Amino acid sequence: MRDAIIVQDLGKRFNRYHAEKPATFMEAALSGLRRMKPVEHFWALRHISFTVAPGEILGIIGHNGAGKSTLLQLIGKVGRPDEGHVRVNGGIGALLDLGAGFHGDLTGRENVFVNAIVAGLTRREVAQRLEAIVEFAELANSIDNPVRTYSTGMTMRLAFSVVVHTIPKVLLVDEFLSVGDVRFQAKCRERITQLKNDGCAIVLISHDAEQVEQLCEQAMWLRKGQIAACGEPEVVAGQYIAEMRSETQQRTPLRPPQLSKTGVELRVNENRFGSLEAEITDVRLLPAAEIRSGDALEIEIEYLSSQRIDAPNFGISISRKDGEVCFDTSISAKELSLSSIQGHGKITLHLDRLDLSGDQYFINLGIYEKNWDYAYDYHWHVYPLLINSTIQKSGLLCPPYRWEISQAQVSMLKRL
Amino acid sequence: MTIFFKRNTRSSLSKRKLVYLYDLLRELVVREMKLLYKRSALGVAWTLINPLLQLAVFAFVFQLVLPVEIPDYASFTFTGLLVWNWFQTCLFQATGVITANRALIRQPGFPIAILPVVTTTTGLVHFLLALPILLIFLLLAGIELKPVILYLPILQALQFALTVSLAYVLAALNVTFRDTQHTLGVVLQLFFYLTPIFYDIKNVPANFQFFYNLNPMVHIVTAYRSVLIQGVAPNWQPLLILAAVVVICLPIGLQFFRRQSDRFVEDL
Repeated sequence: MRDAIIVQDLGKRFNRYHAEKPATFMEAALSGLRRMKPVEHFWALRHISFTVAPGEILGIIGHNGAGKSTLLQLIGKVGRPDEGHVRVNGGIGALLDLGAGFHGDLTGRENVFVNAIVAGLTRREVAQRLEAIVEFAELANSIDNPVRTYSTGMTMRLAFSVVVHTIPKVLLVDEFLSVGDVRFQAKCRERITQLKNDGCAIVLISHDAEQVEQLCEQAMWLRKGQIAACGEPEVVAGQYIAEMRSETQQRTPLRPPQLSKTGVELRVNENRFGSLEAEITDVRLLPAAEIRSGDALEIEIEYLSSQRIDAPNFGISISRKDGEVCFDTSISAKELSLSSIQGHGKITLHLDRLDLSGDQYFINLGIYEKNWDYAYDYHWHVYPLLINSTIQKSGLLCPPYRWEISQAQVSMLKRL
Repeated sequence: MTIFFKRNTRSSLSKRKLVYLYDLLRELVVREMKLLYKRSALGVAWTLINPLLQLAVFAFVFQLVLPVEIPDYASFTFTGLLVWNWFQTCLFQATGVITANRALIRQPGFPIAILPVVTTTTGLVHFLLALPILLIFLLLAGIELKPVILYLPILQALQFALTVSLAYVLAALNVTFRDTQHTLGVVLQLFFYLTPIFYDIKNVPANFQFFYNLNPMVHIVTAYRSVLIQGVAPNWQPLLILAAVVVICLPIGLQFFRRQSDRFVEDL
C-alpha cells in the first residue's frame, strides 16, 4: 500500500536574531539595518526520514525543544523545510490548538461552517455532515448560541468533532487529547481508533513514553532535532526512559572523594550525583541536626556555580534510612523560579513545623537543570537528621493531636 | 485508456479544488460581514452612512464655505469617496492579515494567499451595496447612464488586483516591521488628500501633474468618473500600464507574502 506520509532527509534551520532586532521601521532606521541579519543559525531538525503507512500510528517522544512540534508543523505543510521533502497523500487533519479558529461572536453552527471549510471540506460536504458533527459534540441544544457562551469543554468538543468529521487521511496530534470529561475522552479515543482502522495515518507527539508504547505501531525518539532511535515502540520507549535515568549519572564527572563541611565524605556516584556545573558547598540544618517532632527546621544550602546557569531548580527531600521519601519539594513546586545563578549563593527552606515521628532521617538535596533533565549536584543520604519524639515510634507522621471523648455522662461524673 | 482515466481524475480533483476555493472565499467573506455587523444595531447601513456623512461634510465645505466649481459635485465626490474608501479600508486591513490570523495560517493546507483576497472581496461587497445610492445621485443630477458603464467591472477588477498586490507586499512587511500598519494608516490619510477625491485634478497646477500621474489611484478614480459621470470610455493608456505593472508585481508580492507568512508561523 502507498505510504500516507513520506519524510525524506528533512531539515529545518532557524535563525537566531540579535536580542534587540528592530521590530519597527523607526528602530530599523535608527540602528541602520545593522541588526537585521541573523546572528546565527541552528538546525531545529536535521536528517529526519521516516514513512507512516495508512492505519498506522507513529509516536514521537523527546524532551522539550527536541523539535517535535516543528516536525509536526512541517508535516502539516506549515512552514517550509530547508532540506529534504515531506510528502503527504490525502487530506490532513490537525488536533492542535483546538478551538483556536473559533470566533466567539459567531454561533456554533457558523463556526462549524467556517472551520470545516478551512479544514478542507466544501460547503456541500459540511452541510451533509453538520448534523453528525453537532451530534458527536453533543451540542444539539446550544449550536445556535454564540461560541463565547460555551465552556472550554464545549468548544473543544466541537473543534474535535469538526476535525474528525473531515475524515482526514493523515491526523496530527500534539500531546494526547484531554477533551472534555472522561466519558467524552473515551469517545474521542474510540473515534480515533475508528479513523485509524479506516486507514488514517496518525502522528502523535507525546512526552509520555508509556503512552507511546501502548498506542503506537512505530515510535521515534527525537533528540536535539535528530533521530536518536526509531522503530518498535517498546524498544524506543525503553531506550528513552533508560537514557533519562542515566543522563544524570553520565554527566557526573570522576572526582576524588571530598569532605562536606560537616565532615561527611562525598563520593561521586555513591552519595553524590550530577554534572557539578554547580556545586552544593555547604548544608546547615538549623537549629540543629537533632530536633523534637513538631519543631521548626531551616535547611540552608550554600552553592557555588562557576558559570552562569539559567533558571536552575532546587529540590529538597526528607527520607528515612530505608529510602522511603517522607517529604519532597522544590522551588518550582511553589511556582517560584530563579532567573539565573552565578558565583556563591545561599538558598534556605523554612519548614514551620516538621511533624515526623521520632526516627533517623536524611535530608537529600539537589540543584537541577531547569527542565529537570539532569542534576548539577545532588547529595543523597549525606545529611542526617534525628527527630526525637516522646510518643511511640510506629507510623510516619506525628502531628499534634488530642482525643476528645464526648460521652457526656462519664466526664460529668468524673468531674463531680 | 489508463491515461484518459488519470487525466479525468486529475481534472475532477482540480474542479473540487476550485469549488473548495470558492466556498472558502465565500465563507470567509460571509464571516467578515457577519462579524462586522454582529453587534451593531444599524447593520449594513453603516456601509452607506459613512461615505454619506463624508459627502455631507465635503459638500458643505466646498459648496458653501469655499465654493469650487465642479458640476454635479455630489456625484463627483461620492464616486471618489466610494472608490477611495474601498481601497483604503482593504489595504489597511489586509496589511494585518498575517499577524491577525495565526490560527488560520497554522491550519494544515490552508491557502494563506486567500486572506488579502478575502479582505478585498469584503470591500467589494460593501462597494456594490453602496452602488445603488451612487446611481440615485447620478439620476437626481440628471446624468444619463451610457453603455460605457459596462466597463465598470473592468475597472473594479483592476482596482481589485492593484489592492491585492499591494496588500501582499504590505502584509509581508508587517511581519518584520510591526509598525507597517500604523505607518500605512498615516500615509493613506495623506494620500486621501493627494488624490483628487473631493477636488478636480484639473485644478492641480501643471508642474505638479507629473507627480499626480505616478499615483495609480488618480487614474482609477478618473476612469470611474469618465464611465459613470461623463459617460465616455476611460483613458486606456494609463490603465494598461497599470495593469501591466500589476501583472508583474502580483506574483512577486505573492512570493514575498508566502515566505513571510511561513516565517511568521515558525517564529519561536
